[in-house]
Amino acid sequence: MNRRVYLLCGFSLAAVIVSPWIGPALDGEAGALILRELRLPRALVGVLVGAILGAAGAVTQSVLANPLATPSTIGTSAGATLGVLVALVFLDESQVAGIPLLPVAAFIGALAVTFLVVAVAVRGQARTEDVLIAGIAITLATGALAAGIRFSADQLATFQAMRWSLGSLAQIGYDRLLLLLPFAVVSVVGMLGLTRALDAMAAGEERARTQGVDVVRTRTLGLGLSSLGVGAAVALCGPIAFVGLIVPHIVRRLVGSGPRILLPMSALLGAALLPLCDGLARVALPGREMPVGVVTAAIGAPLLLLLVARRRR
Amino acid sequence: MKSFLSLSEVQLRRAGRTLLDGIDLDVGKGTLLALLGPNGAGKTTILRVLLALIAPDSGSARVDGRDVGSLSMRERAALMAWLPQNSPRVEALSPLEIVAAARYRFDEPRGKALEVATTSLETVGAGGYASRTVDKLSGGESQRVAMAALLAQEARAWLVDEPANHLDPAQQVRTYRFLGERVSAGTTIICVTHDVNLLRHARNSGADQIRVVGVSEGRIDFDSPLDGSDLGGELSNLFGIDHTPHGDGASGIWIVGGEAPS
Repeated sequence: MNRRVYLLCGFSLAAVIVSPWIGPALDGEAGALILRELRLPRALVGVLVGAILGAAGAVTQSVLANPLATPSTIGTSAGATLGVLVALVFLDESQVAGIPLLPVAAFIGALAVTFLVVAVAVRGQARTEDVLIAGIAITLATGALAAGIRFSADQLATFQAMRWSLGSLAQIGYDRLLLLLPFAVVSVVGMLGLTRALDAMAAGEERARTQGVDVVRTRTLGLGLSSLGVGAAVALCGPIAFVGLIVPHIVRRLVGSGPRILLPMSALLGAALLPLCDGLARVALPGREMPVGVVTAAIGAPLLLLLVARRRR
Repeated sequence: MKSFLSLSEVQLRRAGRTLLDGIDLDVGKGTLLALLGPNGAGKTTILRVLLALIAPDSGSARVDGRDVGSLSMRERAALMAWLPQNSPRVEALSPLEIVAAARYRFDEPRGKALEVATTSLETVGAGGYASRTVDKLSGGESQRVAMAALLAQEARAWLVDEPANHLDPAQQVRTYRFLGERVSAGTTIICVTHDVNLLRHARNSGADQIRVVGVSEGRIDFDSPLDGSDLGGELSNLFGIDHTPHGDGASGIWIVGGEAPS
C-alpha cells in the first residue's frame, strides 16, 4: 500500500509539471509569454480546483456515508447554475465591486442552495439517506427553476449559461488564481483536519458518537467547508463534471478507504488530474478548445468502470 | 455497593409506542449485568438511553453520578464504550484503522493510537488479520475486531449488545470468558443477550457479581443474581417457555423448552 501512495504522489507531481506544456509548441518570446501568462495560471487554478473537488468528493462521501454522494448531490452545482442564470437574465451590470458578476452570482447561488441542504443535513438526527434525498429534491427544484428561466430568456443569455455550465479553465489569469487561493486553502486544509473524526465515523456513525466524536459538528464542518471550496471553484470555472465523484473512488481502489488516507490522496489526485485533463482539452479538437468538463467525464467515467470491473475478479 | 450506571423512572415513547415504561436500574462498579427479554422488549433501547444516543421523555440516566446528557462527548466516551448489535460499515477499513479510530477521545499522536490498536488486536487474537480489510473478515473475526475496539477505547463501562450473535459455540464461549476477565479487571458491563447459559463462562473466568435482569414490554420484570433460586421460574415466565435446570452450581445449565435428561 505504501508503494502505491508513493507512486500516486510521483504521478501527480509529474502530471502537474507536464500539464502546462501540453498543446501547440511554444517558441520564442511569444511562447514564453503564453506559458507564463496563460498556461501557468491555468494549470495552477487547475491544481487548486482539482484539490478542492477531490477532497470535497471524499468528504461528502464520508460525511454522508454514501459512495454516490458528490458536491453536486448536495446542490452546489445546481445552486451555482441558478445563480449564473439569474445574473445573466435579470441583471445588467457585468461587475460587482470590481469582480465579474458571474462568479459572484455562482458563488452566492452555490452557497445558498448548499446551505439549505446542510441545514436539513445537520438538523437533529436526520439520517444520511434523508440528506441525500433532500439534496436531490433541492437540486431538481433548482434545475426546474433554472430551466424555466432559460426557457423565457433570450438566446444569448441561454447560450452563455450553457457554455458556463460545461466548465472550463480557459480565460483564467493570476487575478482569478489569487481570488481562489484563500478559499482553496481554508476549504482543503479544513477538510483535512476532519480526518480523525471521519475515520471513526467510517466504522459507523452512532458508534463514533459513543467514541467521543461530535458527529453533527463534523457533518456541518465537512459539508460547509466542502461547499465553500466547491462554491468558489464552480464560480470561477463552472461545474466541472465527475471529478468529485470519480477521484475518491479511484483512490479507494488504489490505496484504501480510510478517510485519513482517502482525503489527502483525493486532493492530490484531483490536483493532478484536472490540469492534465485541461491540457488534453487544449489539444482534443484541432483549432479550438474542448471544455475541460467534457474531458474529465470522458476519461474519468471509463477509468472508474475499469476499476470497478477489475475488482470483480 | 456504589452505583456506576443508573436509570431512574425512565420513560420513552416513540411514534406512539411505549418503548420504556418506568425503568429503574442500578449497576454497581465491577458488575456484569445481563439484560434478557423477548425481542422488542426494550433491552437495546436501555443501552441507547445510557449512551445518550436517545434522550428519554422523562426520568434520568446517570453515569458515575452525572447525568449522561450533561457530559461532553469525550467524557462520555471515557466512561462508556458500546458494542452495537450490527455495525454498519461505510468504508472498507482495516481492523487496525477501526481500532485506532476508537481512540478518538485521546489527544495523542497517531503512532500511539496504532500501538494500542495493535496490542488490543493481539489481546483478542485478531493480530493475524490486522491489515486485511473488514469486508474480507468472517463474522467471528469482525466480532473480535469490535472487541479490540472496546478495549482500545479504555472506557470504564462496556455496554455490549448480543456480543455472541452469529458466532460459533467456541467463539461464543470465548467471548463470554473475555467479558468475565474484563469484569474481574474492574470494568462494569451491561450485556444484552438471549442465552443465559453463556453467562456461566463469564463467571468461570472471574465475574463473581453477575445479575440477570428480565425486561418485558419496556419494564423491568425481575432482577436476580445468576445463581438466584427462582431464576428458572422467572425466565420461563419472561420468555413464555420452560427453562428447566440441569445440574447445579457452577456447571448447571438451563434446558430451554424441553425436559432435562434424567
